[in-house]
Amino acid sequence: MAHYIIDAFAMIGMSYIMGFLFYGFYRQFNARVQRRWGPSVFQNFFDNMKFLFKTETIIHGPMFFFGPMIIFAGAVTTVLFVPYLKDSNWLQGFSHSGNLILIIYLLVVGPLGNALAVGSSGNPFGVMGVTRGLTRLMGLEVPFLLGLALVMVQHETASVHAIMAAQTDFAHWNLMTNPIAFIVMILPFMASQHASPFDVVGAPVEVYAGPRVEFSGRLLGVLMTQNMMMTVAKLVLIADLFLGGATTIWALIAKTFALFLLTAAVSTSFPRLRTEQTVDFFWKIPLGLGVIGVIATVWFPWS
Amino acid sequence: MNLITKLLFLGLSFTPAATFFTWDGAVAWSLLNGITLSFDLTPLSAFFMLLLAIGAPLIAVPMLREKSDESAYALYALLLLGMQLLLLAGDFIGFFIGWEMMTWSSYLLLLRSPRTDLEGAQSYILFNLVSAFLLLAGMLFLYSITDDFRIQAVDGLLTADKLVLFVLFGLAFLIKVGALPLHLWVPRSYDQAPDLFSAFLSALMSKMGIYGLMILPLLFPDGFNEISGQIFNGPVAGYVLAWIGIITATIATFKAISQEDMKRLLAYSSIAQVGYIVTALGVGSSLAIGGALFQALVHTLVKLLLFITIAGIILQTGHRRFIDLGQLISRMPISFFGVLIGIIGLAGMPPLPGFAAKYLMYVGLIEAHWLLLLAAMILASTASFVYCYKLIYGPFLGHANSPEAKTATEAPWQYLIPQIILMGMLVALGIFPGWAIDVLIDPVLIGLNMTPIGTPAWNVLATSYGGYDGVAVMGVFATVFVLITVLFLLVRGNMHRAASPYDLSFCGEVPTADTPLHYGAGMGRELRRVPLIGWILRHTTTGFYAGLTRQTQAAAGMIGTLYGSNPQTWLLLAVLIFAVTLTIQSVTGA
Repeated sequence: MAHYIIDAFAMIGMSYIMGFLFYGFYRQFNARVQRRWGPSVFQNFFDNMKFLFKTETIIHGPMFFFGPMIIFAGAVTTVLFVPYLKDSNWLQGFSHSGNLILIIYLLVVGPLGNALAVGSSGNPFGVMGVTRGLTRLMGLEVPFLLGLALVMVQHETASVHAIMAAQTDFAHWNLMTNPIAFIVMILPFMASQHASPFDVVGAPVEVYAGPRVEFSGRLLGVLMTQNMMMTVAKLVLIADLFLGGATTIWALIAKTFALFLLTAAVSTSFPRLRTEQTVDFFWKIPLGLGVIGVIATVWFPWS
Repeated sequence: MNLITKLLFLGLSFTPAATFFTWDGAVAWSLLNGITLSFDLTPLSAFFMLLLAIGAPLIAVPMLREKSDESAYALYALLLLGMQLLLLAGDFIGFFIGWEMMTWSSYLLLLRSPRTDLEGAQSYILFNLVSAFLLLAGMLFLYSITDDFRIQAVDGLLTADKLVLFVLFGLAFLIKVGALPLHLWVPRSYDQAPDLFSAFLSALMSKMGIYGLMILPLLFPDGFNEISGQIFNGPVAGYVLAWIGIITATIATFKAISQEDMKRLLAYSSIAQVGYIVTALGVGSSLAIGGALFQALVHTLVKLLLFITIAGIILQTGHRRFIDLGQLISRMPISFFGVLIGIIGLAGMPPLPGFAAKYLMYVGLIEAHWLLLLAAMILASTASFVYCYKLIYGPFLGHANSPEAKTATEAPWQYLIPQIILMGMLVALGIFPGWAIDVLIDPVLIGLNMTPIGTPAWNVLATSYGGYDGVAVMGVFATVFVLITVLFLLVRGNMHRAASPYDLSFCGEVPTADTPLHYGAGMGRELRRVPLIGWILRHTTTGFYAGLTRQTQAAAGMIGTLYGSNPQTWLLLAVLIFAVTLTIQSVTGA
């Protein structure tokens, strides 16, 4: 029991620290691309603390308050169901009680809970953001899960541990043995990270809309915290599935950072898509590739 | 008198439960010419009888609140009798009698609703009669080749015979489950039926079609594999069925998103959810059949819960369109939780049991290597989040949009009791998915001569592809939720409610009571901009049938031109053909 508790806190702490450092790096990276100096890598931590220690928070009824709590609980549950290390007793959380499909569904439990809070705020622009988010989810989930299903078919299991264990060395990484699955799911994966060019849901600049429009003070801090932790959990999941997992914390940081850098590079390079363009894009390019992948690996397994 | 009638009706609603618990041994009743009617409770029919046993009393309780209506009660008695008859029947005669009793009594119940119009009533009875006649044709065909009406595996059928049986029975049951494009009667009747009878239609009667589809493979010694071989790891005939199911699910989901009426939305969502079951039945492996049964169970509970809750909302406000409701969360909190639990189950979110059902079906598809079907299923089930959100946002969140919605109170206790029971059942099933597998589903699989799924413990759902622990998921989530809430409230800082509902970040303006702030009706309209969804929503099934009629007429016209308008021409033609035939015959010496 004590092992579980320490392990859980280690995973949560590690996700948080990696989360704010990664996002801090992203702000630096973005600034340098735009020839600015940018803030320090610790800026996200400072921002987060500033929100969490605000004295005033305005709410719109009980459901509005519980929404961020649900999304935070969803994020922590996700973190605890993703195995962080391979062949280790530590940083495992409750991952032996779960599987890949469960984790993918856990990723959306929180946002849906938060959607209730947005709805109860009574701000139509917030609800507009939720609808955009659900629409994007509809677009990205199909190729994302299809890519992962190709991996599940390859290893005949939905268990993340088993998939990780099968990738013994670099040549057996799923990135090498099943590259088409990686290509199919990587863009939807970036969209699930709320990364540009698929980030119109949060409406970063153009209109005052998006799921977070009514949240302020400490509730906004909770939302920011869970977003950073969720990002790390997703990165670790993809590192587990395609980059062979990690046996040490340093390998884990290196692999997740490589994935994050890829996301950041794509984000800074492409202009933002509208929601329906995003959906249409996912249903044409990644899903089309996915269909080709299915035909190539399942219908005619010549490898 | 009134009270006695009502008590009798309540007692009547427990008859499926009585049958379920007290049935022992088979009954055979010799009819004529050596034909025997046989009745027995097989594991498969016991599963569906259990659904009926749960559903019937839960719908009866809120019905007691209305004025006692003897003729409706009598029709319900017939309906329950018919459904039990068809579940117990061991041969197609009993099955058909039960099927017809169910069809006619439900039709008469539907007619008693003041909302039913001619179109709705006609489409209900027409489609259901076609279904019954197809069933009749199928059973007579079976009798003509085997001299037997019993539901059992038949050896040595020709491939053509198998196909005929598969198509006749398959179409009969697909009409009942509302597969596209045979679903026209479903949204109309679910919409127009009395509010509580809609729950009966959606939760229980649609399952009878599923039951029919499940006895269909029993006619062949090797299930669907028998008909036309395998594709990847599943049967070809099942592959066709699975595509029918998933196309139904996808299109019905998008149609559900575009509805502006709560009951119509639920009707389309029923079509979609039952479409998943059809898909899983097509796969036919024990994982997929287990998933189909689990989904049937969850869908029954969820639709009972949602339709009863929505009936409560309609009763209290008199409105059924999203645009007329809003902000009921503070006035109808229990109903809010009812719809919340319902949509979590509907969307297949962990930790509720909808996820267990989805998981089994996904794994079944992965095991069969039917990945394109899997992708389509993911599309349908992710798109269902939108209508689930609409269903809870429209009535409960946002701003109240009518005077009734501003003053409504919580639904009466007769509506709340079934809701609370159903919520409890759903949460318990979510924590203990292994219990449902062990107690409800594995006996059916064993009865069907399939490998049971098995479970190491009641809180674990285990498959060969890995599983999950319901207690761990629910436990971790609940613990973190409680901890973070307590922590949040303990840390210093003020939290207070906004001064007025119009105190919003509204693009720098200050909205007033006249500003349209409720987003209920328009939600999902922007989805039309996505080309595929726009294409689906621009087309209707009525349009499809109209197009079919046009094409048939055009084809008939084209064939008509072959004959020409001059009768002399084709008389000449006939004489010529006759002469040529004679010549050929005389030349070949036949």
